Amino acid sequence: MFVKFLFIASSLLTIVSALSMLMTKDIMHACIFLLGALMGVAGLFLTLGADFLAATQVMVYIGGVVVLMLFAVMLTGGNELNKRGLNPVPLMGNKFTFALGVFGASMFFIVVYQLLYKIFHYFHLSVVDSYESTVEKIGRLLLTDHILAFEISSVLLLGALVGAAIIARPKRN
Amino acid sequence: MTSTLSSYIQSIPYIKENLYWLTEMLGPEVTAFVIFFIGAFIVANVMALVGGLGTYAERKISADIQQRIGPNRVGPLGILQFLADGVKMIMKENIVPRDADKFLYYLGPLLCMVGIFAACAVLPISSGFILADLNVGVFYLLAISSLVGLGILLGGYSSNSKWSMLGGMRGASQIISYEIPVTISILAIVVLSGGLSFGKIVQSQSGLPTEWYVFHNPFTFIAFIVYFIASLAEANRAPFDLPEAESELVSGYHTEFTGMRFAFFALAEYVEVFVLCTVASALFLGGYNVPFRLGGDSLLGQVLQTIVFFSKTCFLYYVVIWIRWTLPRLRVDQLMTLCWKYLTPIALFNLVGVSIWLVIFDGKSLLQLIKGLF
Repeated sequence: MFVKFLFIASSLLTIVSALSMLMTKDIMHACIFLLGALMGVAGLFLTLGADFLAATQVMVYIGGVVVLMLFAVMLTGGNELNKRGLNPVPLMGNKFTFALGVFGASMFFIVVYQLLYKIFHYFHLSVVDSYESTVEKIGRLLLTDHILAFEISSVLLLGALVGAAIIARPKRN
Repeated sequence: MTSTLSSYIQSIPYIKENLYWLTEMLGPEVTAFVIFFIGAFIVANVMALVGGLGTYAERKISADIQQRIGPNRVGPLGILQFLADGVKMIMKENIVPRDADKFLYYLGPLLCMVGIFAACAVLPISSGFILADLNVGVFYLLAISSLVGLGILLGGYSSNSKWSMLGGMRGASQIISYEIPVTISILAIVVLSGGLSFGKIVQSQSGLPTEWYVFHNPFTFIAFIVYFIASLAEANRAPFDLPEAESELVSGYHTEFTGMRFAFFALAEYVEVFVLCTVASALFLGGYNVPFRLGGDSLLGQVLQTIVFFSKTCFLYYVVIWIRWTLPRLRVDQLMTLCWKYLTPIALFNLVGVSIWLVIFDGKSLLQLIKGLF
């Protein structure tokens, strides 16, 4: 019951923050709502028993990505933009394009619903009472079955690091 | 297995009998929730007290170092000074700058507080009193405490002042940078103990200094020093208190904050220092282990463990304050040089060294090897 309550709370946090992120006009506020949505996703991982994944989500997205986004927003500001965020843009399009959009969206919804129908109807949220540690399993899998992906991603990160160092290096004359 | 405060308390036979009616009435889940609520309430209040006493200790020790008397009016030896400060903070007028971004202005101090108090959930106070001994405890602590950096950045940005902005930017970049040496030097210990949970790491050491991880081998000793320096920088303590450098930035990211919002920032800083000292004592200095396992796992043992834990942590806390009032502040470029050119490579080297030591000597400590010679 308690875990179910946490699950619902995390889902609500995710959905509400994601919606407010889309609705807000202030780009800094959008970043903060994104943080709420990512936190909610971490909560979802946690209630489904993926403790390591949840901690990684918080570590990478909240400690790293959101902060970097805030930095990027601060670096890109200019005098032409209004102070915070975007100028309102009038709606583009006519009746035909709107009708097309509504049709496309409903088709997409129907297709997704057909795909997920089985999951909605035959899946019950199985709440785990005693958590099994996922750390060992993930570690073992990363260094055996998925060693190639692991190594490739580490090489990619190393490349990014070296590239950043080269770009940031002061020019010697 | 994830062991928790609730599972420990329900394993004590005396309490189990007395909790029987509660379990009967509310069901096991709600009982666990009630126990957690009380435990979390105690931890949060003790941490707030630690933060308050931290300000008192800071003022008293700095006074000692500078041959002053320090606060001595409120209560015996001025020990109630922090309560007087707290009352003053609550009574103060709540000023919000006119052009401040109000939403973020309110959110910044809260994020700092939430980040650091959420980290308190995994602090290993004694073998029974740990709110949740998560399997990913160390990782969780590092992850959730990164909210503090975000709070500092937002506090600096939202007050719409140049000093605050500069302080916030400095704070965020400093915290992001110094997370790397902290994490890598902690990884060295994780490699040795073979687990990410605080309980496992602490229990694989013992009460005597010979079996603490800090004296396990030369690499862990260096890792401890790297961790300590980098954690000072992560908590924005002098000599790394650039985000709030008084001589340049008025007082950095919390220049525009008054009253309880300022108090939140200050409290978060002091509690963060305490949490980082806790991590240092748990990972490197044997944590709550009592020498010769006096008291065992009984209630007396728990009390002794708590005392040992708090004395180790408070000693480190004293060292932190001592360093603050001894060393001058670094420049920004020196700060970044120290992080990226010295601490991070040393920490990486240590991680490799510890791994090699673990493979070659089969996890034996240096002292055990020397003992084996004779």
